[in-house]
Amino acid sequence: MADTTAVAAGLPSESGAKGLKGGALGLLSTTVIGVASTAPAFSLAASLGLVTLAVGLHAPAIMLLAFAPMLFIAAAYFYLNRADPDCGTTFTWVTRAMGPNLGWLAGWGIVMTDLVVMPSLSQIAGKYTFLFFGADGVANGVFWVTVVGVVWIIIMTWICYVGIELSARTQVALLGAEIVILAGFALVALIKVYSGDTTGGLHPRAGWLNPFSIGSTSALASGVLTAVFIYWGWDTAVTVNEESKDSKRTPGIAALLSTLILVGIYVIVTVAAQAFHGADFLTKNSSDVLSALGKDVFGSPWNKLLILAVLTSASASTQTTILPAARSALSMAVHRAAPRKFADIHARYLTPGFATVFFGGLSIVWYVGLSLISKDVLGDSILALGFGIAFYYALTGYACVVYYRRHLFKSFKNLVLIGLAPLLGALGLTWAFLKSLFVYSNPANSTSTTTAWLKFIHFDFKIWHFRFFAKGFGPPLIMGVGLLILGVPLMLLWRAGRPEFFERGREVADTIDGPAPPLTPGVTVVVD
Amino acid sequence: MAGDIVVGYDGSDGSKAALRVAVSVARAFDAPLAVVFGYEVIPVGGETADYKKRVEAIGAAVVSEAVKAAGELDPAVKAEGLVVPERPVDSLLSVAKSRQARVIVVGGNGERPLMGVILGSVPHKLLHRSSIPVLVVPAPDGV
Repeated sequence: MADTTAVAAGLPSESGAKGLKGGALGLLSTTVIGVASTAPAFSLAASLGLVTLAVGLHAPAIMLLAFAPMLFIAAAYFYLNRADPDCGTTFTWVTRAMGPNLGWLAGWGIVMTDLVVMPSLSQIAGKYTFLFFGADGVANGVFWVTVVGVVWIIIMTWICYVGIELSARTQVALLGAEIVILAGFALVALIKVYSGDTTGGLHPRAGWLNPFSIGSTSALASGVLTAVFIYWGWDTAVTVNEESKDSKRTPGIAALLSTLILVGIYVIVTVAAQAFHGADFLTKNSSDVLSALGKDVFGSPWNKLLILAVLTSASASTQTTILPAARSALSMAVHRAAPRKFADIHARYLTPGFATVFFGGLSIVWYVGLSLISKDVLGDSILALGFGIAFYYALTGYACVVYYRRHLFKSFKNLVLIGLAPLLGALGLTWAFLKSLFVYSNPANSTSTTTAWLKFIHFDFKIWHFRFFAKGFGPPLIMGVGLLILGVPLMLLWRAGRPEFFERGREVADTIDGPAPPLTPGVTVVVD
Repeated sequence: MAGDIVVGYDGSDGSKAALRVAVSVARAFDAPLAVVFGYEVIPVGGETADYKKRVEAIGAAVVSEAVKAAGELDPAVKAEGLVVPERPVDSLLSVAKSRQARVIVVGGNGERPLMGVILGSVPHKLLHRSSIPVLVVPAPDGV
């Protein structure tokens, strides 16, 4: 007598102590996910030198300022996620609000941005692995760092493929250690600065925190575009709300808590780092800035702690890069915007197996290729990354305003949270994007690299006050913007072959409180 | 309902063997059979809704196949399929608890030993955590 299949919901769980469990994410876990996804130690290691390159001693101000657009866009994430907690996130939302073409490009933007960050992650992981073992000479070579970086991608892809997840307690412990080490670093550095126990040390000044004292808007824009990356991933604290225990309050408080932790740690560490040896030291050592500082601040063997923090942080960051990339691809495939294969779920591990492995493989190809042609893999990647993040975050902001347009003026809260905040965030990122286009089109502005790519493209003309000049382009621009543009022909190609996805119309939200009807009715329950 | 026989089922050979044994145990006790597919989606890295739905759909397909197979093995056994959004071990334990189950049946070596160490072995964890008897059924040889 076979009974029909039931999906059991609301089965009593054993206890609340099991941590990260579907259906019951606590405040601590949600906060940890948000902070760990941004990977503070890795973000600082990768970007500190580049921010000081752009704005010198105003780096702490940029750390503060770059958070504003992220905060504003997070409001968009929060409200759009309410309507549709689909793992395609921006892809799904932009498709609903602004139509399938832009939606497709947004999805492409997410995956490409995830791809662009992989070389910097692998580079840092490879380099810091050698630094950890004291093989500083090897750490400066390209070959072995690349080899270890590739091994790193393979291991992390495999971990995502078989679906290993650290227990909640382990994650809290790792993140806790990371934060404590960074705070300890800042404290020791500042004590040494004030006791005069350092060369080239500077006493921190209030002016370091003032973004308005940055003279040039170009410096401001490129600083923001670089620093946006350090907060990237923070929005997951807001979007895991579906799993939260109390999904009305938990994500909000978690977002607030993780904000305080992140902004606090970034500003304090940046202040301490540049107080210690000045800003030029950070710029000169931009490829291994935390390791270089750690040696002088902590001394051996305590500096290994800082290196270890960067490594664990990079592993968390790799995971939070591979998972969303694979899920975005899965979501696009489910909605017929990408080949069906990407929606495959591994029968045993229940992960998006094909999408995960494909992304891992693509990352290796991209990383090795880049190592062969770029002189500064890390710098070029981080700068390029800013373009991608600004692109799809800005789209998310606009999508929120457009999608909820009928509800904007219903209350003051609506106006601020689903209107002004997302719009301001999106406009800010759009401005940083466009301004940086000009800055980075000149290869001399991209970190230590002065080699231009595509030198045959040469123009020089003037429209009104703006001079358009290029003799080749800087690598960050080609990677960042080039990959986004590559999406257009690919989209047209896909559209020509499989027009289904592109036949849908735009939607507008009926309510801001509840879920929207499915984007593509019925497709998610299909199993092939 | 009390005294259910709970069996973990994921479509692997080990779980198929477990299902066969569970059906005969259910018959012997004249007890209902609960076929459980437990899954957990990693929340790290952002939203998961449609990914989760796909996994659920796979679970539903796997489990209804198992319920059908149970009916073919012994039409007298009442089998019910359950897709539970918790880690496999947790899902077996919570179903067993809510049904006051008599015994939990699982396949023995669905994982290769090394993978079992890395990924965690369901029978191993169950033996440590369950407060009711656990019956571990070895997978047939040569598979």
